[in-house]
Order: sequence, then structure tokens, then C-alpha cells
Amino acid sequence: MIGAEDSPGTGTDDSQPADGGEPPSERFEDVDWASIDADGGGRSPLRLAALVAAGSYGLAVASDRLVAGGDPTIDVAFGGVAFVWDATAVDWLFVATLSVLVFALVPLARNRRLVAYYWRRFRRHRPAVLSLAYLLVIFLLGTVGTLFLDPPALDVAAAYQPPVFLSVDASIPTECVGPVVEGRCQGTWRYPLGTTADGKGLLALAIFGMRVSMQVGLIATLISITIATAVGATAAYAGGWIDEALMRYVDIQQTFPTFFLFLFLAYLYGGSLFVLIVIFGVTGWGGIARIVRSEALQRSEETYVAAARSAGASGPFVVWRHVVPNVSNSIVTAATLNIPVLILSEAALSFIGLGNVTLPSWGQTIAAGRGDLATAWWVSTVPGLFLFATILAFNFLGDALRDALDPRQEVGR
Amino acid sequence: MGLKWYTARRVAWAGVAAFVILTVTFVLLDYAPDPELARIQFRAAATGADAETAAEAYAERRGLTGPLWERYLEYLGNLATGDWGWSDTRSQPVLTAILTALPYSLMYTVPAVALSTVLGIAIGLYSAFNQYTTTDYAATFVAFFGVSIPNFWFGIVLLLLFAVQLGWVPVLFDAELARTRPLSLANARQLVLPVFVLGTSAIASTMRYARAEALEYVRAAFVKAARAKGASEWRILTRHVLRPTLVPLSTILVGDLLGIILSASYLVEVVFGIPGLGRLSLEAIRRQDTALVLGTTLVPVLVAVLGNLLQDLAYALLDPRIDYGDR
Repeated sequence: MIGAEDSPGTGTDDSQPADGGEPPSERFEDVDWASIDADGGGRSPLRLAALVAAGSYGLAVASDRLVAGGDPTIDVAFGGVAFVWDATAVDWLFVATLSVLVFALVPLARNRRLVAYYWRRFRRHRPAVLSLAYLLVIFLLGTVGTLFLDPPALDVAAAYQPPVFLSVDASIPTECVGPVVEGRCQGTWRYPLGTTADGKGLLALAIFGMRVSMQVGLIATLISITIATAVGATAAYAGGWIDEALMRYVDIQQTFPTFFLFLFLAYLYGGSLFVLIVIFGVTGWGGIARIVRSEALQRSEETYVAAARSAGASGPFVVWRHVVPNVSNSIVTAATLNIPVLILSEAALSFIGLGNVTLPSWGQTIAAGRGDLATAWWVSTVPGLFLFATILAFNFLGDALRDALDPRQEVGR
Repeated sequence: MGLKWYTARRVAWAGVAAFVILTVTFVLLDYAPDPELARIQFRAAATGADAETAAEAYAERRGLTGPLWERYLEYLGNLATGDWGWSDTRSQPVLTAILTALPYSLMYTVPAVALSTVLGIAIGLYSAFNQYTTTDYAATFVAFFGVSIPNFWFGIVLLLLFAVQLGWVPVLFDAELARTRPLSLANARQLVLPVFVLGTSAIASTMRYARAEALEYVRAAFVKAARAKGASEWRILTRHVLRPTLVPLSTILVGDLLGIILSASYLVEVVFGIPGLGRLSLEAIRRQDTALVLGTTLVPVLVAVLGNLLQDLAYALLDPRIDYGDR
């Protein structure tokens, strides 16, 4: 009611519409809060879209599991390009994770001014901007690119091809695909990054490895931050013995060195990608929960929380509506820094052979090339470079996000 | 709350934590599928014998019969008395296997920890005194590099470069040499790369913490006062900044370094072929020797429990301002 200043001379009758549709609501007491609340809750288009997405997702999963069974989920051919995708459990989780990400980003994208503000702060970190670009490329190649590429296939004849522009002694590859110049096999554009001992192209392997890494990093982190936020916010808001019990549990979980926890569980329950992701997600949230708790404790002291409570808001409502959104900055930062740890853990477990051996994970490829260091150095080096660059990029990104999103932490930096 | 009461509570909590972890491990072990049992059942079925009888005989042999709580008590008792089980693949007690492997692990982790701590604190302090200079940025980059580079891959690349291409260090670790002449030059040469790889990952966090902690004091009033009094920069550095920095740092070091060293050394050993704890554990995993896997996992866990305890006690001793009620 911005323009409606109270001027004693004018009666409210003048401003009333002739057809008498809506009563004037110019004074604070006249505002019909119930109807405003009803408009704001329940039926917003975003919520509707989220419901529709969740519903169709549920249907799609059900149809894949019950109807399609062992058949590919999608099998269409347009213009000679066949598009076959047999979604696994991990794929479905990944789709769910990406949809949650999209719906989490919509409210932010609507707020142009906020986005511009964050972007200005973020832009100051040149390495982080580069990292973001690199990660977007990796992400798109890994998710969209792998749908259209053929998975790397066994081809013994093409084993040990060197990367393009490089050459090795012609005795090393089984059969040189490219030209042999002065007894040295030249790399070709058919395998730009060379091939492994099985003749699989390293570029294709690296791209499929991107998908594995992104799936591990994003899905497990989403599981982690969901649990961590619930636990941290509950502990901070409830206090008392609930806080004590929850945080003591986190203490114990944190004491177990993460890597050995993953190692032990992967050994006991098998190392399929799905199990690995669940292990990472369900056991790796302790640190984030602590951050959420300490942040939420500070937010709970704020006056808006007291105001909401005195207005009669219930505990869970206050946590969900006021505390969690106000600690989301810390959650985003912690999540970004959690992703590289998980990607590295997955690579390490694959490297020592605890992962799924058939999966084109980067760690797997590095391990495969270890025996050929003297002859085919590129097999281990190439996927390792991608792994290193991805982890570095996530660390740069997380550091810059902390600066951009969290003005409270500027002291001492 | 006084220091004594705090110490007592903290020690008791470490005991509880260790107990809970052991219990959880027991439950996990109990519910996990047993590859050995499956193999025995398969073999029995293949030869026409009754799979059930074979499974029962196996359980009898392993002491897996009886009610759950009885086995649980036995498990706890065995662990407490140092009977950590029998390694089938190595035909020796698990504890013996661990004790044999331990010196090889210590041989490179101790120098790596010492080097990374001294260098990390030195570089961190230098960065704090020269904030936002090129050197500071370089140090920050080195820290990011150390945190981000996958240890096992870094080890492979260094092996490729210095062992395969240049031939400066041996490709294969000679365990016999390390055992008979641990202080020889030849042994030092083969340990250089593992120490370096482990050091890079450990130095990064030390450096960042040292820089952040020292920054709190670089502009403190007492440092300004010392400078106004005419104290030399070196004296300010060692007397006024380093000392308060060391207090939080010493505690961070225990907990944080431990985690890094424990997990990093695992992969470093695999890459360099050092027959330490990591290799022992990996061999146990590959050959599905569950008793040995459990033993080699419990060692780092118990070390971590102890490390956390020492960290908290060190903090309470070194910093009298600590609030004992806080966690």
C-alpha cells in the first residue's frame, strides 16, 4: 500500500471502485493476511511445476522399473542417429539431483539484482571464473555428451596408440593406426589422446569418466547436504538433549577417518557405483552438519526468528522458512568444497580396485595404465590430468563462493 | 569446570567413542555378506555335498555360532586383549602382520610430517607477513595444488619422470634394503619421492592454517607496540606472532594432519610398492581376508580417536582461555 498515505481530508469512499468488488485495504488492520498467505503458499507456479516434475519423475522411474524391465528406457532413432539410453539406478538418482538443482536455482535466477551482486563479487576471482567455465564444459560433456557418444569399445588392434602430435617407437602399439615415420608410430586424430592397452580411446574414456565423477560428486553431495541441513538445523533449533545426542553422533562419525570408512564399507558391501554413492552420501555429512549447526545457532538469535515465533509460527516452520534459507550460503559453500573430496575418494577407491571394474572411471583408467608407464605413459597421465583439473576447479570455485556468498567470513582473509 | 574434570570427561568420551565405533564395526561385519562362506557353499554344492552342512561347519570353525551378544562380547574381549584374529592369507596373527608392516610406513611418514610441519609453518608465517604479494599468491597456489592433486596420480607422474625417464631413483621399492640398512643413502634415495608426495598434501593445510592464524596477530595491538618499541622484525616474528599462533596450530595439526597422512599414505604405498600398512590392507582387501581388513582399518581409527583426544587436551593445556563447556 505504498501510495496510500493517510490524508485526513479524503474519505475512503472515494477510492472505492464503483462496482464494489474489493473492499479498500489501506490500513494495516484491514489487510487480509489470510488471503495473501494463501496466495503465497500452496499454488505458486514454481511449486506446481515442482509437483508436476516430481510426479512425472515418479512415473518415469516406475515405468522404467516395472514396464521396461531389462529393455532400454529410451530407444528412438531420428535422422539415422539412434538414441538408446538404458537408465540405471544411478542415472535416475542423477536425474533427480539435477531437477532439485534446477528448482533450487529458479528463485535465485528470478532475483536479478541479487544474482548481479553475487556475480560482481565472484568475478573478482579470475581462477574461479575459469574454473566455473571448465566445470560447465566437463558437466555438459559428461551429462549430455555421453548420451550421444558410443562408450569406448575394446579394440585390441588399436592398443597403445600415442596421442596426436606425439609419437612412440613403432614396436609399442600392436598396429599403428597412423603413419609410421622413421620407425616411430605417429598419433592420429582418430584417437586424439591415445589409447589404452585395450585399444579404448582415452578421450572417450575421459568423457565417460566425467559422467561418473559428476554423478558421484553431485548425487552424494545432495544426499549429504539434505541430511546435514536437517540434522544441523534441528540440533541448533531444538537444543537440549536432542542437540547433544545429534552432535555426539556427528563426533563419532567424524572420528572415523573418512577414507577408511568408505574403504571398509565398500569392501563389506561391494563397490558398485550406486552403493559407493550411497555410502558417500549417508556417511560423509558430519562436517557440513557442524557448519549448519553453528550458523543456525547464530541465526536463531536474530530478531526475525523471535518475531516469527511471537507471531505464533511453529518450530519446524521457523526452521524451514527462516533459519535454513539464511544458512544456505554456508551450505552452498560447504557443498562445493565437499564435491572434490568425494570425486577424489571415488577415484582413489577405483584406483585400488574397489569400484566397479567395468565402469570407465578416471581412477580405473589411471590404475590400468600403471603397468605401462615405461612404454605408454599417456594412459595414466591423461585421466589424471582431468581428475586433477576438476578437483582444482572445484576448490577454486568453493573458495571464491565463500568470499562471494559469505560477507561474514571476510575477517582475516 | 576445571581442567581435571574436563580431562576426565574427555578421556571418558574417547573411550565411549572407541566403544561405539567397535560396536558399529561388529554390526557391519555381522550383516555383511561373507565371501568365504559363499565360496564354501558353492564348492559344497558343486561337489554334491549339502551346502547347509558346509556352512554350519564353517561357522563352527570360525566361532560364528551362538547368540549375537555372546559373539559380541567375545569380539570385544579379543580386541582388548590383543587377539585381533588370524590372517588366513598370511598364516600369521593379524597383530603380527600389522607390527611387521608398521616400520615401513613410519619410515616415510615421519620425515614427511616433520618436513611439512616446519616448512608449512614457515611459509604460512611468511605469507601472513607479506599478505597479497606475489610470494603470498604463489604460496596460496601451492596450497591449492597440494590439496587438489590426487596423491596416487602425483606419485605415478613423479615415478615416470624421475625413475623411468631420468633414472635418478629406483622404480621399485627394495624392502630388504629398507629393513637391513634403514639409515643408508640408498634407502633415503628410494624414500625421497614418497616423502615428497605425502609432504605436498600435508603441507598445504598446515600452510593455510598457519597463514590464517598468524594474520590474526600480524595487526594485533601488541605487535604494533613491539614494533613501536623498536623490536626487530625477526624478534616480532618469533616472539610475538609465532608463539600465539602455535597454540591453535598445534592442535589443528594433530587432528588434521593425522587424517591426511593416514589416508594419503595408503595410496602412496600402493603406488610406490612400500610394504607398509596400506599395502597390507590392500592385499587383505584383494584376497578377501576380512580379519586383516578389520585390523588394518581399526589401526587408523584408534589412532584417530587418540589423536582427537590429545588435540583437545593439548588445547586445554596450552590455551587457558578455553571454555570447557564448549565442544
